[in-house]
Amino acid sequence: MKALRVVAGAAGVALMGVGVSLVTDVRDPLDVLVWLGGAVLLHDAVIAPFVLLAGWVLVRGGGRGPVRGALLVAGALTAVALPVLLRPGKTANASVLPLDYPRNWLIAVVTVAVVTVLWLGARGFGRGFGRGRRRPDA
Amino acid sequence: MKLRVFPPEFKGRLHDARTATSIGRWLGSAFAVCFVTGLFSHVMQHPPDWLADSIPSRPAWGYRLTQGLHVASGIAAIPLLLAKLWAVYPRLFGWPPVRSVTHALERLSIAVLVAGSLFELATGLLNTAQWYPWPFSFVPVHYAVAWLVVGALLLHLAVKAPEIRAHWTRRSPGTLALPVQDGPDRRSFLAVVGAGVGAVTLTTVGQSFTPLKDLVLFAPRRPDKGPQGLPVNRTAAAARVGGITAEEYRLVVAGPRPYTLTLAELRALPQHEVELPIACVEGWSASARWTGVRVLDLLAGAGAPAHARVRVESLEPRGGYRVSELGREHAHDPLTLLALRVNGEELHPDHGYPARLIAPNRPGVLQTKWVGRLEVLA
Repeated sequence: MKALRVVAGAAGVALMGVGVSLVTDVRDPLDVLVWLGGAVLLHDAVIAPFVLLAGWVLVRGGGRGPVRGALLVAGALTAVALPVLLRPGKTANASVLPLDYPRNWLIAVVTVAVVTVLWLGARGFGRGFGRGRRRPDA
Repeated sequence: MKLRVFPPEFKGRLHDARTATSIGRWLGSAFAVCFVTGLFSHVMQHPPDWLADSIPSRPAWGYRLTQGLHVASGIAAIPLLLAKLWAVYPRLFGWPPVRSVTHALERLSIAVLVAGSLFELATGLLNTAQWYPWPFSFVPVHYAVAWLVVGALLLHLAVKAPEIRAHWTRRSPGTLALPVQDGPDRRSFLAVVGAGVGAVTLTTVGQSFTPLKDLVLFAPRRPDKGPQGLPVNRTAAAARVGGITAEEYRLVVAGPRPYTLTLAELRALPQHEVELPIACVEGWSASARWTGVRVLDLLAGAGAPAHARVRVESLEPRGGYRVSELGREHAHDPLTLLALRVNGEELHPDHGYPARLIAPNRPGVLQTKWVGRLEVLA
């Protein structure tokens, strides 16, 4: 096991070496470095604190499971939709970005909200039905 | 009680090794698929000389599958990466920040892994929308950083192996040592992470998996939107080949016995119909019925040897993909056509009128349009 770990670790370092040598081959490696650092900075200093704060404020109490689910799924859909929603400028032709993306985003978010409300409703109904049986705290 | 500002305190649950391991397994699998399919695509587009003749032309749907998987696994990895980073975020503020040289190196490798992972997913997703806000060229940099990420990931797995093993299942010793009351909450969290992955997949995968095309909400393409029901990347206008007429068109076949054909002569040759996908590197793909002359027959007319490679040249005056090469397998596959028609109609100028290459198991950018010359290479 130990030997396998050492070999895997060494292989990892070697592959990183390949990556570094390929990065230094591009015309301006410094630009790449700036974007790599920028990605970490954007995540660690902006996105992650924002998500943690949103979770701290919104995800609490009895309905925290479904609320967290709704925020997470809607957030994932929004993250994936950002490029098609925000891309500036004219596209190469009419078959690139052919859909009404803001409308689609609304459809997605409304669907997530409806499913969450149904989920909360079904849970409330189930709990009312099983009154007297104490649910373990989540 | 005073709230400490730095280093911050994290009172929320689930920032634990079992949550990180559970998500990490899925994220690692997605990255593995993404890396292998990406490597495959790279080799297809830039084959090293020793490999060029052994790239198989079958299965015909090969590149469609691998590139569809490349983009789908990358998209699936977006919620997984964000959830994984959420789970381990408090470790960023571990105190003291550095305990030893080894610890410093490990943190550095994590920084590379996080930076590279975010970078790859972000640049890849933006590329599918043809949005390039960065100053460098996308393909070589996306390729280079992929190696950096895979190396850092392997190193990370080697370093964390004991912890991963201790939290691999619900009943692993490390998992059992965690507070029991977190179990249901963790399962609920992992289930919604799974739901997030399902949601982003369902709303994008129809761009290549056509049975789900009606569910496409956020993909940059729909496989049935475009002239003649097929998407287009480079239009005839952009390639400056808008005005080719049937009368002036000539196909030059250069080889041991070179010859030239008019469009009428090309149409008079035996026509074959094949069902082949056009599969773009950006992830979308669509199948179509193509009709035209077998490249095999055109080569035979020029006296090409059986092992010959072929250079395919477009009539467009310039462009990164003006010329492509067919390796031995592709050049001699009976499915490889110089197509004149698609889905029963004459090719639209944006699809390469008067004639385009269509070959099995081949990236879309190499399916050269507006073909004016085939050259037999030794």
